[in-house]
Amino acid sequence: MDILGKSVTELLKLLKKKKISSKELHDYFLKRIKKYNPKLNAFLTVVDNVQSINRLYRGIPLAVKDNFCTKGIRTTASSKVLDDFIPPYESTVTQRLRNAGFSIIGKTNMDAWAHGSSTETSDYGPTKNPYDLTRVAGGSSGGSAVAISSYLSPVAIGSETAGSIRQPAAWSGVIGFKPTYGRVSRYGLIAMGSSLDCPGPLTRTVEDAALILQILAGKDPYDATTTDVRVPNYLKYLKVRKLLTIGVADEYFDGVDDEIKDRVFRCIDTLKQMGHRLKKVKLIHPKYSISVYTIVQRAEVSSNLARYDGIRYGNSRHYFGPEAKRRIMLGTYTLSHGYYDAYYKKAQRVRGLIIEDFRRVFREVDVIISPTTPVTALKIGEWEKYPFFGELMDVLNEPAAVAGLPAINIPVGFDSKKLPIGMQIIGGHFDEETILNLAYQFEKETDFFGAKEICLQKYKD
Amino acid sequence: MAEKVLSKEEVLHLAKLAKLSLTDAEIKKYQKQLSETLGYIENLKQINTDKVASDFYTTSAKNVFKEDKISEARMLRKGNYFRVKRIL
Repeated sequence: MDILGKSVTELLKLLKKKKISSKELHDYFLKRIKKYNPKLNAFLTVVDNVQSINRLYRGIPLAVKDNFCTKGIRTTASSKVLDDFIPPYESTVTQRLRNAGFSIIGKTNMDAWAHGSSTETSDYGPTKNPYDLTRVAGGSSGGSAVAISSYLSPVAIGSETAGSIRQPAAWSGVIGFKPTYGRVSRYGLIAMGSSLDCPGPLTRTVEDAALILQILAGKDPYDATTTDVRVPNYLKYLKVRKLLTIGVADEYFDGVDDEIKDRVFRCIDTLKQMGHRLKKVKLIHPKYSISVYTIVQRAEVSSNLARYDGIRYGNSRHYFGPEAKRRIMLGTYTLSHGYYDAYYKKAQRVRGLIIEDFRRVFREVDVIISPTTPVTALKIGEWEKYPFFGELMDVLNEPAAVAGLPAINIPVGFDSKKLPIGMQIIGGHFDEETILNLAYQFEKETDFFGAKEICLQKYKD
Repeated sequence: MAEKVLSKEEVLHLAKLAKLSLTDAEIKKYQKQLSETLGYIENLKQINTDKVASDFYTTSAKNVFKEDKISEARMLRKGNYFRVKRIL
């Protein structure tokens, strides 16, 4: 049977009609992982047996980024510090998905501790870009993004602190959705920047992203940052065709590669032709978000990684890689006596201004659209040329992250190197449904220019 | 923009606070890299924050309380004892 490229929704239909069994489906993906993972390095751990088959989603395979604790399944955050860590408890995200009937097929590669934007800081080697194996997948949820584009799993979970879902989704040509901070529980997610961390889905269709968010969203007693803001019916809302006002800010095209700019402007034109209204808006330049993010995130990293002392979690601090050490030390510096006001407090104040700035703009527009990344996927090793690599690659993702806003990446075509280009839609706090609605309309209109099929031609059964 | 360069002693002090051991090559590398980063984030000084409070919350969520109730699912207790797995 032809399964290649099918979405969760389509697979569920096949399972319900008994055209395929849960076990056969699991084996199908295991076979693909066995065939392609040695080349791509998307998975660190593979789970052989199918679980949860008697529930709603009948054991449909799910790939999970390796920083979500999964009871009984090795969880490393791609760091040798946790090389042999088998969590004694389950994260809320994976628990909810398992309860719904998804079956974990494997844990995906990432930048160690989610520190990076290319999956190259992983202690288990980089994940390769499925379009060009000499290039990186993006990161830090690189393994999850590649698992989706090369169809080693129909759906994957990633996490984002600033860009770690949207940026690898853009470079690997798939959908990546970061919800509002506090919409999805972080319980059991290995902490990076606790005031920023947010789990989210990577999928092949917008409908699948809505379906996964529906399962994940909502209050969790184990994470006090989750709120009881009402969770709407995302799937139902998708099909209501809304006409929206789209904000476009020049600041978000500054320094972006010309081919990406052209492509995104063409897509904005398409949306205009579909009846949406465009409005020019002015926002604080993203370069300031880089600084705010750098200070806040490093500070939180230095405190979060203090718990890896070699007593409770296997290996000692000698096992930290260069990137983690660099971040821990900068955070230690900015939090230390005499510097706290000049750095952390200052950054928090600017962060307040950025949030207020977005609030002002969202009174006039429903969503903001911009490119997801300033360039397409880089060559492996190229990051060493940029001292500030992660921050530069995530520059367009950081404002929404520091403001806690939801945002999605959707694939919008290719550049002349045949690498995927991503466009992001940013929404107001807890307004995930409007983002999904517009992304869905765009998908129906363009089918993302056939991006998904183009990739699969390289990864046949 | 005043470029601050971290001394070897400062890097060693940070490493000590963070319980990290560094090689000589690493100390040199981090002196340079950390100073570069500190140079970049100086740009925040261009933004006036005199009138901004620093005690806000990202999504304006307020006062999260939990009901004062015992979760049976998280109990180790059996009768009047804590029950744990056998260790010997």
